[in-house]
Amino acid sequence: MAKYAIEVENVKIRFNLANEKVDNLKEYAIKLMKHELMFQEFIALQDINLKIKKGESWGFVGVNGSGKSTLLKTISGILKPYEGTVKIHGRIAPLIELGAGIDPDLTARENIYLNGMVLGHSREFMEEHFDEIVEFSNLGKFLDSPVKNFSSGMKARLGFAVATVVNPDILVVDEVLEVGDMRFRRKCNERMQRMLSGGTTLLYVSHNIDSVRNLCQYAVWLDEGKIRMAGPSMEVCDAYAEEQEAEVRKKQEEKRERLRREGRKYDYLVVGAGLYGAVFARELTRRGKRCLVIDKRNHIGGNIYTEDVDGIQVHKYGAHIFHTSDKRIWRYVNRFAEFNHYINSPLAIYKDELYNMPFNMNTFSKLWGLKKPQEVQAKIAEQIADLHIEEPKNLEEQALSLVGRDVYEKLVKGYTEKQWGRDCKDLPAFIIRRLPLRFTYNNNYFNDLYQGIPCGGYTSMMERLLNNIDVMLETDFFEYRKEHSEMFDKVVYTGMIDEYFDYCYGHLEYRSVRFETERVEEANYQGNAVVNYTDREVPYTRVIEHKHFEPEAEQENPKDFSIISREYSMEWKPGIDPYYPVNDEKNNALYEKYRALAEQEENVIFGGRLASYKYYDMDKVIEAAINDAAKELNVWVQ
Amino acid sequence: MDLFKYRIKTLFKYLDLLKELVSRDLKLKYRRSFLGYVWSVLDPLLTMIVLTVVFTHLLGKKIENYPVYLLSGRMLYDFMKNSTNNAMKSVVGNAALLRKVYVPKYIFTLAKVTSCTVDMVLSLGALLIVMIVTKAQFHLTILLLPLIVLQLYIFCCGLGFLLAQLNVFFRDIQYIYSVILTAWMYFTPIIYQLDDRFPRWYQLLVKSINPMYYYVAQSRDIIYYGNIPGPRVFFGGWIIAFIMLVIGVWAFQRSKDKFILYI
Ligand SMILES: Cc1cc2nc3c(=O)[nH]c(=O)nc-3n(C[C@H](O)[C@H](O)[C@H](O)COP(=O)(O)OP(=O)(O)OC[C@H]3O[C@@H](n4cnc5c(N)ncnc54)[C@H](O)[C@@H]3O)c2cc1C
Repeated sequence: MAKYAIEVENVKIRFNLANEKVDNLKEYAIKLMKHELMFQEFIALQDINLKIKKGESWGFVGVNGSGKSTLLKTISGILKPYEGTVKIHGRIAPLIELGAGIDPDLTARENIYLNGMVLGHSREFMEEHFDEIVEFSNLGKFLDSPVKNFSSGMKARLGFAVATVVNPDILVVDEVLEVGDMRFRRKCNERMQRMLSGGTTLLYVSHNIDSVRNLCQYAVWLDEGKIRMAGPSMEVCDAYAEEQEAEVRKKQEEKRERLRREGRKYDYLVVGAGLYGAVFARELTRRGKRCLVIDKRNHIGGNIYTEDVDGIQVHKYGAHIFHTSDKRIWRYVNRFAEFNHYINSPLAIYKDELYNMPFNMNTFSKLWGLKKPQEVQAKIAEQIADLHIEEPKNLEEQALSLVGRDVYEKLVKGYTEKQWGRDCKDLPAFIIRRLPLRFTYNNNYFNDLYQGIPCGGYTSMMERLLNNIDVMLETDFFEYRKEHSEMFDKVVYTGMIDEYFDYCYGHLEYRSVRFETERVEEANYQGNAVVNYTDREVPYTRVIEHKHFEPEAEQENPKDFSIISREYSMEWKPGIDPYYPVNDEKNNALYEKYRALAEQEENVIFGGRLASYKYYDMDKVIEAAINDAAKELNVWVQ
Repeated sequence: MDLFKYRIKTLFKYLDLLKELVSRDLKLKYRRSFLGYVWSVLDPLLTMIVLTVVFTHLLGKKIENYPVYLLSGRMLYDFMKNSTNNAMKSVVGNAALLRKVYVPKYIFTLAKVTSCTVDMVLSLGALLIVMIVTKAQFHLTILLLPLIVLQLYIFCCGLGFLLAQLNVFFRDIQYIYSVILTAWMYFTPIIYQLDDRFPRWYQLLVKSINPMYYYVAQSRDIIYYGNIPGPRVFFGGWIIAFIMLVIGVWAFQRSKDKFILYI
């Protein structure tokens, strides 16, 4: 077995293009007589060297005319190289462009056969796999109607189903999957993933750089017929996207210049340099809109801001751990920062006892000295049954009915009371809906697929997000608007929604947090990034030791001091930083009233945790910002 | 030798495609018009009737059973005309596909000539009807017809390859060829008899350089006259067919890798 599926060596493709395309005899004869028939040489590809191993997935990016399709054609054997060699080991199946392999007058059934045979399958083979194709394409009902009545999505389904009946050794996909509905695209992606893990080599050309990122391990960036860059798809796509954006920006710069002369400056004013504002501004800028980001604070990043204190990244507004199960979001943030492998496994201290969090077998065995999950489950069930709680009337009863007495008393009660500044008996039951219990010895706080902290802190990630975007700090929107309303067309507002409407219906309530940050002359203060204090006597709820978020930085550059933050939960009053929205009935109803006002507001987009009055994890904020930006720009995102 | 083996192998691999393409052509042709098969019989019949009426009055000397005389030649000419015309467009017409997939391009040309052959065989019904209606005599020699069709098939493949290839580079070949076809029809004794009313040089010219003469003459021999074709037209027919094939294949092979740049 050959190691490589595809070997391209020193390939050069040269076209002889007549100055004007002569494709008829008359002109040809005239030019011939006048000795005008000059041929111009056009090098479509040059110095192409590529070795692709079996089972790898390669994406091809580049502007129109850079040679992507020419290269694919050369590999598929459609074009013969002028110089150099192309060696293929295995069977190539191209995914045929819509309409190309399909005869509109024939029925779907006939097209399946025809298409399959164009790909070199025998009739017998097609008969064998016919049902499978029909099932995948989901066109069973329309088998005997002519394909000309089909939508483009239906045709794409047909094409894809036929091309992938057998796992081809090499699958060539050229911009065909951009049509069709979401469900089918997902199905295609799944099938391609499956084929990839089954050893199929994938060659993929698309204008949608995100889909290249998603699907391909490697990418080739072609520029004027040469390989500009080849390697891991992330790097190549980033570099390519960067240059593309630079190009767009350059064009925009000229437009801006013009606008400036005409007296108008920004398309969007983004209020708030937090995560939502930054992602939104970036997505808009990327597509050629001019944005100004303002924030009343003296730094960017909003609540995820981290401050460098002698080489330690301090999470100024509370510990932030990035976690998500959405691959797209994970890839997105990885473009702006490298993430470490930090896994959040907090500890809880109750009086002088120490427990692992979240509630898992480590916690329970410490509590009761039990080792087997069954024993623990029985124990908790017994404790819950003893209480005879039918309908929990308050938070205490709710929590008790979920975890039993021991866990509640030691690990839930004090912490919750400190968080809310009230007795659990006086808190409504709805605050805690679930208290997940884990019957494995697993201390990982989150269940998400991806987790980590950006190396070098969140602020540098935010800087990269806001790269090349105008930012003005220490600028309050309401002040700025008074004097500069002619500077922008639209507003993206990520501040508090009630403040925007001047609290006309009253204040939305929050809980707030206060941090006491301290430098301790100890290399390792508590041995963990997050330690919760669950008894009510200790006034703070948690202690954060910031260096443990970045173990790799500490390893590289050990420090004999540490920075810790004690976190105190506190009442919120207008004027202090809002942290957690109080999503009870009263406040939610109030929010709805503001929301209705917001909908009336023209040319203002409300987004982010404060304008939506909701607790938002970072990944959800990013997702919302990307989607809202796409909606604003009227583009479709995958 | 290896290359040859490889070629044969690919031909076999794509044989099913060839069949499918042929059956597509036929299906589409007969599906689209409601008269379907009837039409492909009716068409030659109607032209035959018109021509018979016109020419029996125009031509001084009467040709015995003119309808059969006409049809036995015309049939082959129509086949040649249709198949080469379609073959000419076979590569350009599948451009969208050929730009995406590697498929041996000659398959499309071959498919067109083949489907026209099937078409012609189906339209033999017209001849049969005419022979019955005119009470023409059936000769055993008619059984030799497949041999002649085969010769012409080979000839048309060759010519088809040549035209398909030319059409890629010069699209106006289509107009030029349609003029040639009309001239070719009159240059071939289909509606007339090549007898002594024509000057000697003309007779010689037709007999020596017009390939269609060989096939029409053979077909007349076996259907109309009931003779075994003379060796000159019989062997000449085969030789010309193969010469044409070699020229066609050579021209096609030579430039097939460049097609993609022009379609
Ligand atoms: C204590 C705590 C811990 C958290 N931990 C995690 C975690 O571990 N993992 C996770 O995924 N998420 C976590 N989150 C959630 C995360 O902080 C938010 O998802 C994120 O910060 C929301 O970003 P944003 O842009 O919506 O809001 P912000 O970051 O709050 O940005 C809003 C910005 O707007 C500015 N602004 C407001 N009004 C005005 C005005 N009138 N003029 C000018 N500027 C204005 C503010 O100064 C602020 O900078 C945590 C949240 C808290 C409170």
